[in-house]
Amino acid sequence: MGYYTGRVSEIRLEVGGQWEIRILCPGEAIPAPGQYLLASDSTDRTAILGTPIFISEEISQGFWASPLFPVPWGPGTSLDLEGPLGHGFNLPRNTQRLGMVATGEIISRLKPLMTSLADRQTGVTLFTDLKIPRLPEVVEVSPLATLKTALDWPDFLAVDVPLNHLGELRGLLGVGNEARSPCPAQVLITTPMPCSGMARCGACAVNTRKGWRLACEDGPVFELSSLLW
Amino acid sequence: MAKHDLSINPPVMNAAGSLGFSPERRARTDWSKLGAFVTNPISLLPRTPAHGERFASYPGGFLLHTGYPNPGLRQVVRRYAQIWARSRLPVIVHLLGNDAETLSEMTRQLENMEGVMGVEVGVSGEADAETVVSLTRAASGELPVIIRLPMERALELASSAIQAGAMAISMAPPRGSLFVSVGAMAQGRLYGPAVLPIALKTAGDLVKQGVPTIGAGGIYAQEDIKAMLDLGAMAVQVDSWLWRGSGAIDKELVWKP
Repeated sequence: MGYYTGRVSEIRLEVGGQWEIRILCPGEAIPAPGQYLLASDSTDRTAILGTPIFISEEISQGFWASPLFPVPWGPGTSLDLEGPLGHGFNLPRNTQRLGMVATGEIISRLKPLMTSLADRQTGVTLFTDLKIPRLPEVVEVSPLATLKTALDWPDFLAVDVPLNHLGELRGLLGVGNEARSPCPAQVLITTPMPCSGMARCGACAVNTRKGWRLACEDGPVFELSSLLW
Repeated sequence: MAKHDLSINPPVMNAAGSLGFSPERRARTDWSKLGAFVTNPISLLPRTPAHGERFASYPGGFLLHTGYPNPGLRQVVRRYAQIWARSRLPVIVHLLGNDAETLSEMTRQLENMEGVMGVEVGVSGEADAETVVSLTRAASGELPVIIRLPMERALELASSAIQAGAMAISMAPPRGSLFVSVGAMAQGRLYGPAVLPIALKTAGDLVKQGVPTIGAGGIYAQEDIKAMLDLGAMAVQVDSWLWRGSGAIDKELVWKP
């Protein structure tokens, strides 16, 4: 973890109303997929909390960021960046068929996984009912309703789900009360993280088989098998 | 440290729940800008996080309902006592004051612990004056005691705490309710600049009553700290200001006596 300065160079509105922000920053500051940076406008003294931002696409000299909350930043905004924070996705090297599930409001936090696999001849299918932004050509898209019947296909699942929708995964995956995933899976839990790990305040607590864990610090990506859901 | 010494210099510290259990979590922080470190709230037994809506934002602030999760005093002491002893910042341990007997037991465990400067007792919003007196007496011993009162009831309860032996009164965030979705109401503590006016009013009124006051609530600028001290507060606690990003203590808190 380190402390960096970045600069917003461009903003874009993706399909579905999601703003993405192009940030120029040192390479060490760029979070891995699923990790986050705590970002704040260097000159704005009116902001109440820092904003967790996730990577949606790596670019030369920086990355496209997907903020957890809407932000008022524009091109030229100077940012204080702290991180990378938390634990991101850790895909097995031998993944051949990656299934991705986006049940929240956006897809962009899963996008860097798609691009990282694009030249490895890995099959990638995204299950979602959200509007589809620009995606690598290798990605197939299917509605969420098809997930249950397609679970014999992926050898790994990457999921982006809001904490308060975690229980709905049971229905999507077609599992009963035992709530076991049909294949290895990691879940990016999206939830407000007001202290970003500074206080262990508990606002982002997630119930796991080893007790309560914090999305800000122990996540936000968890092994699905470790969660009580 | 002399018994019952409660000098905080510089007169600025974090509020309970804002920076964890020990002053080591974010290495870049310049701790010399704080006069003491206040731990997260600690109970005798472990507490799990609250269920339901834990966070909701509104213009000027946000609501937080966490249940003050903590691993219990025994585990906290096991994990952090050596860090407290090594800390250049004196540590004030915040204890959740559910009942006098438990509080007394917890306080005794902290006496003679190196690095611990005092205890701050968090009093629940439902407590009456009799309970405040009972808790204050239970916590009183070798360490100075700060009683943290609900901001809305601080004026009503402060004199009881001081007469029972508290060295100072600090102010807990006010509580509020917000609709978070249709039919769903969140209740919790309120943070953010919108709290500042009520915090300044409460601190000023406490000072006028002659109560040694540690002002807190809605502090988001150096000027806010100065305003609180100008009212006569003996010290100031800052909370969610510290969560704004890497620079809150380092860049924005410039202590000038």
